[in-house]
Amino acid sequence: MSLLSQQLGSQMVNLGSALLLLTCFAIVAQRRLTACVDMFAVQSVLLAATAALVAFLTGIHHIYIAAALTVVIKAVLIPRILKQVVERLNVTRELVMNVNIPASLLICGGLVMLAFFITQPIIPLGFLLTRDSLAISLAIILIGFFTMIARKKAVTQVIGFLVMENGLFLGATSAAYGMPLIVEIGVFFDVLVGALIIGIYTHRLQDAFDSVDTTKLTTLKE
Amino acid sequence: MMLHAVLLIVAQTIVLLAVSPFIVGLIRKVKARLQCRRGAGVFQPYADLAKLFRKQPVVSSTTSWIFTATPYILFASTLAAGLLVPVFVSQTPLNFAGNIIALVYLLALGTFFLILAGLDAGSAFGGMGSSREAIVASLTEPAMILSIFAIALTAGSTNLSTIVHKTALLEGIVTDPSPHLMAFAALFIVALAETGRVPVDNPATHLELTMIHEAMVLEYSGRYLALVEWAAGLKLLVFLTLIVNIFAPWGIATSLAPGALGLGLAVYLVKVSGLAVVIGVIESMFAKLRLFRVTDLLGVAFILALLALVFFYVLRG
Repeated sequence: MSLLSQQLGSQMVNLGSALLLLTCFAIVAQRRLTACVDMFAVQSVLLAATAALVAFLTGIHHIYIAAALTVVIKAVLIPRILKQVVERLNVTRELVMNVNIPASLLICGGLVMLAFFITQPIIPLGFLLTRDSLAISLAIILIGFFTMIARKKAVTQVIGFLVMENGLFLGATSAAYGMPLIVEIGVFFDVLVGALIIGIYTHRLQDAFDSVDTTKLTTLKE
Repeated sequence: MMLHAVLLIVAQTIVLLAVSPFIVGLIRKVKARLQCRRGAGVFQPYADLAKLFRKQPVVSSTTSWIFTATPYILFASTLAAGLLVPVFVSQTPLNFAGNIIALVYLLALGTFFLILAGLDAGSAFGGMGSSREAIVASLTEPAMILSIFAIALTAGSTNLSTIVHKTALLEGIVTDPSPHLMAFAALFIVALAETGRVPVDNPATHLELTMIHEAMVLEYSGRYLALVEWAAGLKLLVFLTLIVNIFAPWGIATSLAPGALGLGLAVYLVKVSGLAVVIGVIESMFAKLRLFRVTDLLGVAFILALLALVFFYVLRG
């Protein structure tokens, strides 16, 4: 592959990862839960597109399979499960948050800078054409983690967890051109089962407390 | 050379003054068509301005000199800002006078005096509009400055002529497209907020609960109102020009040859009208945000600008 097309490919991968990071911010800035779920679906599609691009540029075929699985499981199945949960529970908005939206956005901006500073010494050592997106994948993981902490509704916390998983997938793709396929499939299965379990758990939470606010769990007594 | 510079100043002033009411009319027309109305013609704002200039202004006896001086200061500072932006030729007429930072603060000067004038008449609406405008202006400024710095870094200069010239010729721009995309999104949100367009303010309403810009200029009439309205149109045009010429300057004249100038002017008109149509569609698609939600939107703009800046450093290697 010529140097120019390699540079162009690398820029396209970077652009894909940058858009992925943007969808993270869209999730953080959203109040409506269904819109959050939609943004997560968009993020998963972008992730699959970026992974497919990496597969095309490197000629490693098993990344295609992982990308296809991402679309099926994370962009179609899981959003559908989450939307059912949201519909049945009749919770449409995240009204009370631990951290309000402008402050969350600023904190996430800080997390992005933190991720960039941490990965700065490592990145030049890499030789893959995807090495620059390592910083972005770490930023996505941190933002997902932050979403789990800063939001109270169980559904948003699930989305935070799934965003973290997306960040890990991007990190694996950018640092090592993806994990072995068997590991990848195992992770997808785990995520799907995790989302199902959390969906059921959210119902139980609703039954017990008439709310899906996870802070209520602290009132549980033996 | 001196003659060229003077001619360029005159030509750009004429273009800016002549095109700005058209852009306002075009946006109104697009909105009307999307609401299945016929709407006024795109040249209606010219007639409005001409009418207002003929009317006698009424000035409240409680106002000070600030009230009567503000329309002139606002108009002059906005026009001066317009002369710092490359319009149809990549060379700016007032190139010697300042760079992109001067542009930001010339616009801020006009906003500042308009805020003072809103307070000056002592009416409740004016004060309310001023306080809201101050919130919006103070929140948009960091986002605007950061996104502009991100662009200045990619071009290696804060001089608008150099930025536009380099981008138009694809010279020395070897970075990724992502900082540009994010800076564009940030600057677009800033432009909507600064010029009082829909998600932040509604230029078509006089409902006291929601208006920002209209509340500040409520006391103006006659030629003062005409100047304020014209300056508002001019500010919108300056922002549109800035956006199209920074992010898509292709087709702009890079020399002073007559053919290149004509092509540059035609391409410029097409691009600015296109962006005006986009704004008209956005205004029809989205509802105005509640005032306390405006901070969320401007927070997003700030973060986008910040990311543009960070990405410039990260993706360079």
